[in-house]
Amino acid sequence: MIDRTVAMEIVLSALREAVDQNGGDASGVNEQTVIVGPEAVIDSIGVVSLIVDIEQRLEMDHQVSVTLANDRAMSQRNSPFRTAAVLADHILATEREGAVS
Amino acid sequence: MDGISPAPGAAPWLFERLATFGDAIALVHRDTPVSYRTLLERVQAWDVELEARGIGPGSVVLLEGTSSAGAVGLLLALVRRGAITVPLTPQAPVARETIAAIAEAGWQVSFTQAPDGDETATIVGAPRAVSTPVLLRLVDLGHPGLVLFSSGSTGTPKGVVHDCASLLEKFVRPGKRKTTLSFLLFDHIGGVDTLFNTLSSGGTLVTIQSRDPDTVCAAISAHRVHTLPTSPTFLNMLLLSGAHQRHDLSSLRLVAYGTEPMPASVLARLAEAMPQVTLLQTYGLSELGVLRTRSREGTLWVQFTGEGYETQIRDGILWVRTPTSMLGYLNAPDRFDADGWFCTEDAVEVDGDYLRILGRTSDLINVGGRKVYPAEVEEVLLDLPNVRDVAVFGRANPLTGQIVAARINLIAPENLDDFKRRMRLFCKDRLPSYRVPVHVEFTDDDQFGARMKKKRSSTAAPR
Repeated sequence: MIDRTVAMEIVLSALREAVDQNGGDASGVNEQTVIVGPEAVIDSIGVVSLIVDIEQRLEMDHQVSVTLANDRAMSQRNSPFRTAAVLADHILATEREGAVS
Repeated sequence: MDGISPAPGAAPWLFERLATFGDAIALVHRDTPVSYRTLLERVQAWDVELEARGIGPGSVVLLEGTSSAGAVGLLLALVRRGAITVPLTPQAPVARETIAAIAEAGWQVSFTQAPDGDETATIVGAPRAVSTPVLLRLVDLGHPGLVLFSSGSTGTPKGVVHDCASLLEKFVRPGKRKTTLSFLLFDHIGGVDTLFNTLSSGGTLVTIQSRDPDTVCAAISAHRVHTLPTSPTFLNMLLLSGAHQRHDLSSLRLVAYGTEPMPASVLARLAEAMPQVTLLQTYGLSELGVLRTRSREGTLWVQFTGEGYETQIRDGILWVRTPTSMLGYLNAPDRFDADGWFCTEDAVEVDGDYLRILGRTSDLINVGGRKVYPAEVEEVLLDLPNVRDVAVFGRANPLTGQIVAARINLIAPENLDDFKRRMRLFCKDRLPSYRVPVHVEFTDDDQFGARMKKKRSSTAAPR
């Protein structure tokens, strides 16, 4: 199990890299940075890439195997990817779900 | 149908011509030269043996061996007697028993070679009547047959039945006499084409024991090979190995490559490494034979000359009609339309008279409705430093349906995050973002099959 600080670190580091590679300024990335929607700092394919990146980091560095873009995530009214903080919470929720089942 | 002796013998012109080549060298097998005279003696000896066993039109013979004098002699004898040959090599995609059952083979001949080079042939079997409609058609025509099995990545390989008489038609007009390396063997349409092309023009076919770059280059150097038919995957391996710099390749004049799309970066490096060599893209399918083509100098564009075939593009897919195409599959539904056109399932781009092969429609990756062909991504990644080989494939993703995934063979070990960062920067100006691999993994396993053709698998590392 990972804690929220670790989850947040993974999200922020992957997001900074995505913004940087998108040609944006990564220095302002924080917990409130918007990932999807009109004010998003990356484009839609960037989001897909970010999610897969985070999944891969969780697996390689923390032996945590999760599918973040799962059916439950896709059917939620509010996207679990909307901000860095929401995404970190989504990671923890998905991991707990996996541990229970 | 066993026991019927073919009266005049099939393709008489071929045997008459082979006899005129006398002491010229037909084969170099395990570095031992074999003359046309010796080869024809083998054909004759086999003919007696086949006659004694009643093997003729309608007999299906599984021939297991490599391009030795004995095995090539038997193949020619079977052609002349109008029998149906199923050539098998050590790299056969499935077990011999499975193939024998699908092809209704009554007879099996296996060639084994002792370390000292002595070859023995074992023949077992009994007369067996065929019942598959496509084989019965051959019997009706009274023509020799050739059954090739495609090395399909999934499921049972498909048995492709050719009328050997129409396959040979293409060689009635003799070609240039030259020394050619037998890169693919006679269980593959490319190998069959090379074999018949070389022998019908009095050339020399040089066989090799393995397809590693140094073995191939040593054979080119030792036997002054003029033509190397091969695959883009092998050419990439060759350039990376540097084997071309360790051997004298000055005899080499033509490198022909088919079976898969050529990455532009490999083509450019090849042209630079071998300026004296003409590079020719060929187009062959087990079902169609090898079609004569012309390459636009230094590019991936190919002109289908239409010698003996016609082409059509329907919805971006190449269709071909040719009298030399297969009669049909042994164990799969036909892929011809009512007018005899064959759907190649290869997507192409068109520029005037020229076509560029994008890849198999079955390899197509769909990223949120946008099409990605693995070859166009692979060719960019092959240019990225520290990449030895790469296979690109689609991976299911709930957000976009599929994402582009890449499995990489590195030259030197590298951290995955560092690699991805480098790769994305490199791809930024070279590929639209949806084509840049999202999932990346490393492998130490080779990502090509025994025939040096790339394998793309979304599940496990291919073997």
